[in-house]
Amino acid sequence: MAIVPHDKVPNQLSISWFDSAWVPHLNKDNVLDYFAERSNPFYDRTCNNETIRMQRLGLEHLENLTGLEYVLLHHQEPILYVIRKQRRHSQKQVTTLADYYIIAGTVYQAPDVGSIVNSRLMTTLHHLESAFSEALSFSRYHPAKGYSWEFKEEQNKSKKQKKKEEPGSVFQCKRVDTLLSVLTTKFPPKFVQVHPGEQPVPITEAAPPKPEVKSEKVVVTTSTVRTAPATRPNPQNIQVKQEPKTQPEKRLKLM
Amino acid sequence: MSSKSSRYEKIEFLGEGQFATVYKAKDTQNNNNIVAVKKIKLGNRAEAKDGINRTALREIKLLQELHHENIIGLFDVFGQKSNISLVFDFMETDLEVIIKDTSIVLTQPNIKAYMIMTLQGLEYLHSLWILHRDLKPNNLLIDHSGILKIGDFGLAKSFGSPSREYTHQVVTRWYRCPELLYGARLYGTGVDMWAVGCILAELLLRVPFLPGESDLDQLSKIFETLGTPTEAEWPGMTSLPDYINFKPFPGVPLNQCFSAASDDLLQVISGLLRYNPVTRLSASKVLMLPFFSNPPAPTPTIKLPLPATCAASLAKGAQQLKAGIKRKREKELEMGGLAKRLVF
Repeated sequence: MAIVPHDKVPNQLSISWFDSAWVPHLNKDNVLDYFAERSNPFYDRTCNNETIRMQRLGLEHLENLTGLEYVLLHHQEPILYVIRKQRRHSQKQVTTLADYYIIAGTVYQAPDVGSIVNSRLMTTLHHLESAFSEALSFSRYHPAKGYSWEFKEEQNKSKKQKKKEEPGSVFQCKRVDTLLSVLTTKFPPKFVQVHPGEQPVPITEAAPPKPEVKSEKVVVTTSTVRTAPATRPNPQNIQVKQEPKTQPEKRLKLM
Repeated sequence: MSSKSSRYEKIEFLGEGQFATVYKAKDTQNNNNIVAVKKIKLGNRAEAKDGINRTALREIKLLQELHHENIIGLFDVFGQKSNISLVFDFMETDLEVIIKDTSIVLTQPNIKAYMIMTLQGLEYLHSLWILHRDLKPNNLLIDHSGILKIGDFGLAKSFGSPSREYTHQVVTRWYRCPELLYGARLYGTGVDMWAVGCILAELLLRVPFLPGESDLDQLSKIFETLGTPTEAEWPGMTSLPDYINFKPFPGVPLNQCFSAASDDLLQVISGLLRYNPVTRLSASKVLMLPFFSNPPAPTPTIKLPLPATCAASLAKGAQQLKAGIKRKREKELEMGGLAKRLVF
């Protein structure tokens, strides 16, 4: 009676789930509780985790039980968590049933190789087929000239479609910004200063661009920058002595 | 008389209740079996004048006629001076200890096993027209092999005669059903079944399901959790002696109270915690529900968890037994070693 008919459940590989109230507070200690939310379609309530939760006991009991359980397999805070669903036969023997990954709070089931290959093949075939049928629609036949191509509207169409571009989510933007800042600290941009005797050009220009500002924040904390102001009067020298050519610039921005 | 009291040799003091003290003893005339001897206190003068205590009398009267695997066995009753002692099966622990032991996880097969044993004992009792009237985890005793037996028949009484009224001041409050709380004087097996429902809930949650602080608070706890009943849901409710109108509560869905419970288990709980005592399921009906025949199968009694303290003492006992066997074998070897060699 209690057994849920599996064919009525939607394909787990084609759904995802998240609860926006939880997402900002996720960490490795509460991610399993997040996964155990009532509305999560991936969570099987008959698992041992839920039994333990209901009886107000600690997770350390999981090892002594047999049956279905969920464990946190891998975490890379604050973005990625991997949760494994497994069947425990004894303290040391478990069979993996599925993996779930939580990226930026959204839960997905990790697909098996079969489904991936299947899906890729399907996509390939679909595109090939639509390419063929589209190509076919442009071919013309004339008894005198034989086969020929005839293109008309298709160029306008493609232009219209290109215009649609989705703006990234707040999370994506933030993430991209931090990635950019990491990149800029790793590979500092080179400022081309043609004549060493001239005034450092970018005093005014340097401020506006966003990613650069961020990179600067990171570098400010390093000791080299703090010592820099002593040699401020002739930045040209610094350029010669020290490898990173960005330094005079940063110092100026600090002012 | 004196021969009987010397038959049982005291091993240790186990506990003291309101009416009795209990000792662990061994039966010297029956293979040194371990038994529990319950020595009834005579009580104060006024009580003593009436003869022996009523609860003891109830226990003796009823238990002598009850024989079931899931009912505590009364082996013997003997008097000594002015005391009366009852000799019972020795029970290792009780369900309350197990519920409170946080090193134990009660899995669904465990809970199923406990429920089956309780319900079978109760089915037997009810079939003999006896109400227990004080079911609670503390009175569900468990022996060394995990078998559960219903104990403490101090409040038990035969029921079914339509003219006889009973007191409604029975059953420990947390396990008391709404009709008793409303002062019903004519009631039946429903009072025990409600208590079983509360015990089942406690097995799942590991805390008392409806811990009321007073009789009134008990009612409001019940209604807050299960929803306030209506006259349609429970005909005759409003005409009960102590009926009070309660603010209507919607109640919490059972699947939220018991998040890990499967549907067939929720069906059992809702069958046991029905407001109308007439439609509340009987022990036999509950045992027929799919929960008890669906997988997973109940845990075999011998594999049921025992609290750490009991397990340790049992292991010690087993070791002694093993050592005894070893010694015996060594002896055999000494005696018959030669003969065996000759055979081969």
